Amino acid sequence: MGITKVVEIPVVTTEVPIGPQHPALHEPIMLKVYADGEEVVKVEVNTGYNHRGIEKLCEKNTFYRDIFIVSRVCGICNAVHANCYVRALEQILDVTPNRRAKFLRVLSMELERIHSHMLINAVMAEIVGFETLFMQIMLDRERVMKAKEILTGNRVSADYMMVSGVRRDIDEVKRDKIKEILLKLKSKIEYYKKVFEEDETLVKRLVDVGRVKYEDATSHSFVGPLARASGVRIDSRASDKYDAYDEIPFNVITRTEGDSWARMMVRWDEILESIEMGIYILNNLPSDGNPVPDERRLPRRFPPGEAYTRVEAQRGELTYYVMSDGKTQNPYRVKIRTPSFNNIVNSAFMYVKHTLADVPVILTSIDPCISCMERVTLIDLEKGVRQRIPLKQLSSGGRK
Amino acid sequence: MRRPKLIEVIFRNLVTKPSTVQYPREKTEVEPDSRGIQYADLSKCTGCSLCSIECPADAIKMTLIPQEYEVPKTNPRRLFPLINYGKCVYCYRCVKICPVNAYIVTNKYDIASSTRYTSENLSLATLKKVVSS
Repeated sequence: MGITKVVEIPVVTTEVPIGPQHPALHEPIMLKVYADGEEVVKVEVNTGYNHRGIEKLCEKNTFYRDIFIVSRVCGICNAVHANCYVRALEQILDVTPNRRAKFLRVLSMELERIHSHMLINAVMAEIVGFETLFMQIMLDRERVMKAKEILTGNRVSADYMMVSGVRRDIDEVKRDKIKEILLKLKSKIEYYKKVFEEDETLVKRLVDVGRVKYEDATSHSFVGPLARASGVRIDSRASDKYDAYDEIPFNVITRTEGDSWARMMVRWDEILESIEMGIYILNNLPSDGNPVPDERRLPRRFPPGEAYTRVEAQRGELTYYVMSDGKTQNPYRVKIRTPSFNNIVNSAFMYVKHTLADVPVILTSIDPCISCMERVTLIDLEKGVRQRIPLKQLSSGGRK
Repeated sequence: MRRPKLIEVIFRNLVTKPSTVQYPREKTEVEPDSRGIQYADLSKCTGCSLCSIECPADAIKMTLIPQEYEVPKTNPRRLFPLINYGKCVYCYRCVKICPVNAYIVTNKYDIASSTRYTSENLSLATLKKVVSS
């Protein structure tokens, strides 16, 4: 006698939906947490609440308009998005910016890394209930925003990258101002790092929470500080040496602990490393010509070709694929793969066996950026077929 | 475990003045060359529409200059770029792409308003009115 009916017997668990709009989370993501008492037994990661169709928008706009559109994919990492896209255009056009422009690009991206890492560390302090530290870090983050405003002309949206250069130069006065800010900031960062190392509240809430082993980090395709905190030495700045990273000395920070605390400490160490890089850039800024190209004289027509570029964004490796068919002024295809995509959709295993109160801590330690990552469904307009790419395939980044 | 000296900072903050800028009453300081609102100087503008074509936010609409204004001969179509500041993303693409450098840039950032805020008044103020005889 065959089986005629399957009856599912529910396990006694509580289903706790966290998000997509939740006071403890800063991003529109939904974590469906199944808990047995206080202990988390399973987590489903649901995304898709912030899809805006930016890739399609890029295909409908010209190459140059897209530089400003891709900057708006994510507010906090706008310079890296623009840099990655602009370098793809430079590959298609076969142009190279001068050294001064390359140095200035790196400076803007490192300033962005500093303020992004400070933000997530501050948010982590707030999540564990240490609001005084949150206020203190955010106050010092304002200094970096000021430095970015001096360099690029705006606190957040830099709009600093342009094909074959940058969009504004700095003089001696601005250089000294930024240097002063970075030097003042350094002692503050060292102090905050010490607070994260020694404070009882933080250590109790972060140490041994959401531990990721080296094997798990590699098999789940984690990138950025999340992988580096588990001992994986992955950094496209070091491996690709794009822009001026081949001339500027820096270390790739790795730790072996792999828990939430280690991820935050990797970020503090990276801030210190970025400050050193910023000071090095300002001391050794080359003067081999004007870094600002005349935007009116840039080539209007793009030859057919394709380019695939990557940068190390604050959250990990960010890649752009740009294709030009040579017929129109619009790109044929722009594909963006952001680091948060890898880190978030594969993170469900990290929550298991921790308590419900640890869920926001683990999520924050990943540094999620949901607005970056929302692009999943493919629609073939000619055939009218909706094709869903499985998350497994997308998140593996082409690896099998 | 050694405790860090955050307690000192907390007590110091109790006696110092707040760091928060009381915004509408007290202006936030911005750099003189930070990217604020921009408008076209109509004595230079030729009405070529390039800024409108290049604008990534579609915030610029070429509009007819009203009859009561004297328009330079270099602008035969009597068009001027009307910027909707609510839509503008302040990337300054229009400023950089303008063939005659007609844009005037400012660092004014407080543009919140209950009505639609555009560059109409600012741009038209750069023209003279026709003297009726």
